[in-house]
Amino acid sequence: MSLERPDTTDDAAIERTPDELEALLGDLVVARDDHLNAPGFVIRPDTVQETLRTLKQQAGYDHLSVVSAQEYENRYESIYHLKKYDDPTQEVSVVVPADKDDPVSETAEPVFRTADWHEREAYDLIGVEYEGHPDLRRILLPETWQGHPLSMDYDKDRPQIATLPEHANPLEDHHRDEESDTMFLNIGPHHPATHGVLHLKTVLDGEQVIDVEPDIGYLHRSEEQMAQSGTYRHQIMPYPDRWDYISAGLLNEWAYARAAEDLADIEVPEYAQVIRTMGAEMCRIAAHMLALATFALDINGDFTATFMYAINDRERVQNLLEDLTGQRLMFNYFRLGGVVWDLPEDREAFFSNTRDFLDQLPESVEEYHNLITSNEIFQMRTIDTGILPPEVAKNYGATGPVARGSGVDYDLRRDDPYGYYDELDWDVATEDGCDNFSRLLVRMREVEESAKIIEQCVDLLEDWPEDERNIQANVPRTLRPDDDAEIYRAVEGAKGELGIYIRSDGTDEPARFKIRSPCFSNLQTLPEMANGEYIPDVIAALGSLDVVLGEVDR
Amino acid sequence: MGTAPAQLFPEFIVDTLGLDSVIGEVAASLVAAFVVGNIILAFTGVAGPWAKRKITAAFTDRIAVDRIGPYGLLIIPAAAVQLLAKELIVPEGVDRPSWDIAPILLPASALLGFSVIPMGQIGPINLHLADPEVGFALVFAFASIASVSLVMAGYASSNKYSLLGGLRAVAQNLAYEIPLIVTAMSAVIFAGTLQMSGIVGAQTETLVTIGGVAIPSWYAFVNPFAFVLFLTANLAEIGRNPFDIPEAPTEIVGGYQTEYSTAYFVLFYLGEFVHIFLGGAILAVTFLGGASGPGPESIGFIWFVVKIWGFFLFTQWARAAIPRVRIDQLIEIGWKGMLVLSFANLVLTAVIVGVIA
Repeated sequence: MSLERPDTTDDAAIERTPDELEALLGDLVVARDDHLNAPGFVIRPDTVQETLRTLKQQAGYDHLSVVSAQEYENRYESIYHLKKYDDPTQEVSVVVPADKDDPVSETAEPVFRTADWHEREAYDLIGVEYEGHPDLRRILLPETWQGHPLSMDYDKDRPQIATLPEHANPLEDHHRDEESDTMFLNIGPHHPATHGVLHLKTVLDGEQVIDVEPDIGYLHRSEEQMAQSGTYRHQIMPYPDRWDYISAGLLNEWAYARAAEDLADIEVPEYAQVIRTMGAEMCRIAAHMLALATFALDINGDFTATFMYAINDRERVQNLLEDLTGQRLMFNYFRLGGVVWDLPEDREAFFSNTRDFLDQLPESVEEYHNLITSNEIFQMRTIDTGILPPEVAKNYGATGPVARGSGVDYDLRRDDPYGYYDELDWDVATEDGCDNFSRLLVRMREVEESAKIIEQCVDLLEDWPEDERNIQANVPRTLRPDDDAEIYRAVEGAKGELGIYIRSDGTDEPARFKIRSPCFSNLQTLPEMANGEYIPDVIAALGSLDVVLGEVDR
Repeated sequence: MGTAPAQLFPEFIVDTLGLDSVIGEVAASLVAAFVVGNIILAFTGVAGPWAKRKITAAFTDRIAVDRIGPYGLLIIPAAAVQLLAKELIVPEGVDRPSWDIAPILLPASALLGFSVIPMGQIGPINLHLADPEVGFALVFAFASIASVSLVMAGYASSNKYSLLGGLRAVAQNLAYEIPLIVTAMSAVIFAGTLQMSGIVGAQTETLVTIGGVAIPSWYAFVNPFAFVLFLTANLAEIGRNPFDIPEAPTEIVGGYQTEYSTAYFVLFYLGEFVHIFLGGAILAVTFLGGASGPGPESIGFIWFVVKIWGFFLFTQWARAAIPRVRIDQLIEIGWKGMLVLSFANLVLTAVIVGVIA
């Protein structure tokens, strides 16, 4: 793995116009295919690495958000959505068409490590083959699956029996190394510490981990396909709740809402934006509380009091969300152009409940600091374990608390503002430790920042004039965005950059709906953190990544 | 030395019933052992399905079992029926009979330890089965058989998590048994005997009198440093936080007991709890004056029960509050920290006792 630093760091900060970028890329650009969010350059399939390297090193596009692939009538196409960690509003899309009959294009893995999994997914679901990819296997579907489900000629009605390959037998030769005496160990798919259905193929030397390979896809439900068969207006919104299902529902809904609203040019009323912001931050607190709770479970063991205390606090914010949305997990509260209903009656009770929660929160956070972060054994366990250097984090496209725990100051709420965030007073929490402890600290500080945001939203909502409480913009009953409009939009979810790529084809359903899951990219960093550490540190690193498998597998 | 130790329990039975033949003595010993064993098993019966849940719930702001019977106490028979009625799953490839012996060995080793523990008097009965001259060494010997059981279970299960747990158990016990025993030896130096009754008797003397209240010379007061060392090593010995790494459910699933279900699982849990009580009993005898306490000697057993349940409570508290250390950190603490400290304590005690006495 190579870790090229930008040669000319000064150039990285400069914002270039699309034409300047085209000039920089020169002959590499075959055509222009601009997206709503970014200029798009069409390149030849054998110049992917050269193009991406130029953009990364000479123009500072150091963040490969996502690789989205799709099949057209006459071609396959992979799109590399690039951003800058320093300024995510500077975006560029690299569009790589591939031959319809022989869809081969060059891999981007040597330039961006994160492309490894993203290209595997594109191969798995669409069928594009990436030449030079180090490990082009299926990633979400079983190895024995026939066909590529999101390709055009795929027969959805044909039943498939996915015969699993023989159970990985530890005594087989490829699992045992005669000379070094290592042991192959399956951690998961059912294991107390995998927080869902995750399978870690681990090679151990005694207690030390030599190699760990996450095996995902156990929770794959083809969420993208489901979204592609729903109408923009109403049928897609319930699905995002089911990605990161750990009560981060509103954050996920916002990802879809933001992409679709920008695609269809819908303006959300200010009042609804404040409600959205407040609800989303409540979700963030709930999600981070659960992350803290389960991390304590991983470090302390099954009987830790911290787990129940944090679940208790999550319960309090969950009650507020229930008052607001009527649901506890699958909220389905956002609508394109606003939210489904106003704050609950009676408003005063809701505000005072919220304030009670906010008043009690600092005390809780203090208690967690007493219980875990200031405990010496806890520090011994988490400080300097699971190291993820910032450059590696960027190379893997890590975002959210994982990136911020490595000192990468990247938060879309501030850097690519949406909702009401830029009107409010709050800070982005970062830590420089790059270890398990830092990631936990970031989450705990983010809870406090979220509380600040909620408090300001409550203040605003309390004084909002009654006749200006507009929760919903005028949105046509049936949305038909322009033919062949493409957009990639992301929000700061609980785990990081949660983005949606949509291509419309003039109908009321998206032609391609691609989810950029932060957990997917974050989980990919696990081997970097875990190799060479002890088993307990792998568990701690996994806990500190805070992955939700529903979002990883979609 | 304090008052002369009362008659041992088997002798009491022999005398009371007038059994003076050899068969009578054997029968009396068996009856005595049966009674003592059942007292301990009754403790674990209450501790496992009920008290442990209630204590953990109290620490974590919950209610725990309260539906079945008063205070949920009938959960004890319910859990017993439930656990024993399930199918015993014997995984393929386990190494029998060692797979079957391991769960029996663990509670047996812990129960054996109680044969030399002076549990104090209840009325005229002195709950003390045997008082050999090397009783103190014997109790540690019995307790350490437990490691054999854990290794056996880990190895025979033919499961990698079990194997890891078994290996961890050995590493942990090696690292902690030595400091544990070396620390305990400082009590032997004070008492000048390995006999249990002697060690307890030596602690009945008055250390100081403050405001008319006589503070007994329990070794926890005489040498608090050794007491803390012993307490810590004892947590490792019984495998509770921060040293529960042979099981470590979130890391290695269940360690050596991963593959055990139903009756065998119960036996393992029983063994662990008896071990906690044995750990508490050793602690009480060595540092807390055994069964001594305010009031007449005939209620000594009650004080003894209070002490070992206090220790049980302490282990549960540690579980709720303290993170577990990593295996390499544990080895480091054991060999580099505890061992050095325990030897320093031993030498210091020897010097003090040598100079003063």
